[in-house]
Amino acid sequence: MTDTDLEANGADGLPRAEVRRRRSLSLVWVVPIVAALIGAWLVFKALSEKGPEITIAFKSAEGLEAGKTKVRYKDVDIGQVTAIELSEDLKGVLVRAALVRDAERLISENTRFWVVRARVSASAIYGLGTVFSGAYIDLDPGPPGKPARHFTGLEEPPVVTTGMPGRHFLLESERRESIEIGSPVYFRQIRVGEVVSFHLSEDGSKIVSKIFVHDPYHRFVRRNTRFWFASGLDVRIDSAGIRVRTESLVSLLAGGIAFDTFLDPGDGREEAPEGAVFRLHAGMDAAKEREYDERDLYVLLFDESVRGLSRGAPLEFRGLQVGKVIDIKTELDLASNRVRIPVVVALETDRIALRERPKGMETREALLAFLVERGLRAQLRTASLLTGQLYVALDFFPKAPPARISPKGPYGYPEFPTTPTPFEEIGAKLNRLVDHLDRMPFDEIGRDLRATIKGARRVADSPELVEAVQSLNGALKELRELVRELRAGAAPELTATLEEARRALAAAQATLAADSPVQARLNAALDELAAAARALRTLADYLERHPEAALFGKGKEK
Amino acid sequence: MTASPRTARQAGMAACEVCLLLSPRSRSRCPRCRSPLHSRKPQSISRTWALLIAALLFYFPANLLPMTTVVTLGRAQSDTILSGVVYFIQTGSWPIAAVIFIASILVPLLKIGILAFLLVSVQRGSTYRPLERTRLYRITELVGRWSMLDIFVVTVLVALVNLGALASIQAGPAAPFFAAVVVLTMFAAMSFDPRLIWDRCSGEESDD
Repeated sequence: MTDTDLEANGADGLPRAEVRRRRSLSLVWVVPIVAALIGAWLVFKALSEKGPEITIAFKSAEGLEAGKTKVRYKDVDIGQVTAIELSEDLKGVLVRAALVRDAERLISENTRFWVVRARVSASAIYGLGTVFSGAYIDLDPGPPGKPARHFTGLEEPPVVTTGMPGRHFLLESERRESIEIGSPVYFRQIRVGEVVSFHLSEDGSKIVSKIFVHDPYHRFVRRNTRFWFASGLDVRIDSAGIRVRTESLVSLLAGGIAFDTFLDPGDGREEAPEGAVFRLHAGMDAAKEREYDERDLYVLLFDESVRGLSRGAPLEFRGLQVGKVIDIKTELDLASNRVRIPVVVALETDRIALRERPKGMETREALLAFLVERGLRAQLRTASLLTGQLYVALDFFPKAPPARISPKGPYGYPEFPTTPTPFEEIGAKLNRLVDHLDRMPFDEIGRDLRATIKGARRVADSPELVEAVQSLNGALKELRELVRELRAGAAPELTATLEEARRALAAAQATLAADSPVQARLNAALDELAAAARALRTLADYLERHPEAALFGKGKEK
Repeated sequence: MTASPRTARQAGMAACEVCLLLSPRSRSRCPRCRSPLHSRKPQSISRTWALLIAALLFYFPANLLPMTTVVTLGRAQSDTILSGVVYFIQTGSWPIAAVIFIASILVPLLKIGILAFLLVSVQRGSTYRPLERTRLYRITELVGRWSMLDIFVVTVLVALVNLGALASIQAGPAAPFFAAVVVLTMFAAMSFDPRLIWDRCSGEESDD
């Protein structure tokens, strides 16, 4: 017998009642208590992590999936799309998303949401990861604002998000060129920013592009900085050779904007403030051109044809540009039956430096009036004989009839006197030619001529000449035989050649058909050629009348 | 009830729980294997209740939390048991959906329900169809281990689908809860003494 049996049965061997103290609660109840604690903890965790529920309106729910699409900020999941439904007007979708608790601090009325999908543009590829992982919703918290729960999502990701250091600038241009949102902005061929947006100005007269220049490059944008389109290639052929300029290969494809501050001793060196407005020039050369703030508009009335004069044509003073043509209009004066063509020019007066400023001429108007009194006139001149381009020249014509700047000319601009030079000039030169002819010794020339003819007759009558003529006859006969032989031998080949030529012509005809592009281009080229020929003819005529001009030039004004 | 055979208890005997040797009830330990001798499993009802309640508590997170997280090409997708069933129904795989639904949702729930019913009926001293109730208990005990099917599938998948960045499957937080439900219901079924069903029918008072 063991001890246990002894204990159970007692010393007397009789069964003994076991006295057991009952625990009121079994240890096994720990299990459900632990389970309940775990459950409570889970519920608490779920409730404490529950953040704001938001709705975002998008145009389409492309790539979004309820229960799967995440809301991310800086690539950290902060929520999930819970439902996607059509908006009440059926024009868009409403995306409901449950965010985590921490997101409460992120979202406000200024928060912007957008869908990140894979996008490929000429300048960059974005969101490549989403090709595999699917789209997700990104957000930019924006500046602090009032709490909000309903948002309108952006269709395009914003180029610049909050907290990116840098500055915005506004650029005004007449054309958009190939600028897109996200197009690069270059400074000395380094990419320093992007185009954020562009829109038409309220009156529709220009395009206002908003660009963002990153820190620290925004400090290079100064008050006198020039911006220009850096799109594509700038090919230039001039006396210096061929120059090709481009900002980068990307800008070649996608377009871009470049800026630089050209050395300018003037003011405007301080940094441009946020939101400063600049002009966006067409090209680097246009941007480099010094902008003259002082420009006076004048109207010039010409009687002759202004064919070849275009807007932007230079206004030159002895070869130096002092302004340009702004506008060309037409005006028919029925009373005097005259057609006068008003040409509006901008005279950049401060381009003309004065060695000393005479007294009483402190204003530009007074100075110009004085110069006009001294014979300053505007005149149309041919810039190029080949193209027939005209420009407006300012020059002194002391012989010109007296004129004044009339302050109230047509179109509200003061009228600047012109001089109708070309024909007058030609007339004067003709007179001088006749003078020269008068002085020619015609009698002497006649005598000399007669003597020469006599000498010639003597040569003609000589026997040597007769002999020479006879031998020439023989030579001609031989030549005729040769030709006959050639005809017999070469005729078939010639026919074949002609056949070939005809076929070639037929092919050429197809190319040159009236509707072929070659034809159109050829026509244009022929027109150009005709213009050139016309100009050449003018030159030839002039030279015919002034043979000496070929040597001595056009001659000087008297 | 008709005359039922005498039970061991009525004869003043008790069966060893381990080696099933019938010994007099006066002994506290089995004379053969020396394990504690009880006429009925001690505290059977309260133990079963405790385990059953714990299982029921774990049943909720097991079904609400994601069971698996499938990462395909960087895109993570978490599925609960029910969303997996819905997925299979949507893709037309009815049989698979049925298997998962029955093995993972219905069976644990039925087990908990049956055990609760048995406990309540025993506690109320019901004499309602003891044979069928015993059968129910037997089925519950038999079927218990098969509820681990879901855990097995997840385990195998996690081990098999491990293609690095391409695709991988991770067990979700629901897996341990689900395993706990299965284990706890199995323990609950074990701790329940089916003889209690018959005790009332033979008009005996439980001393337990």
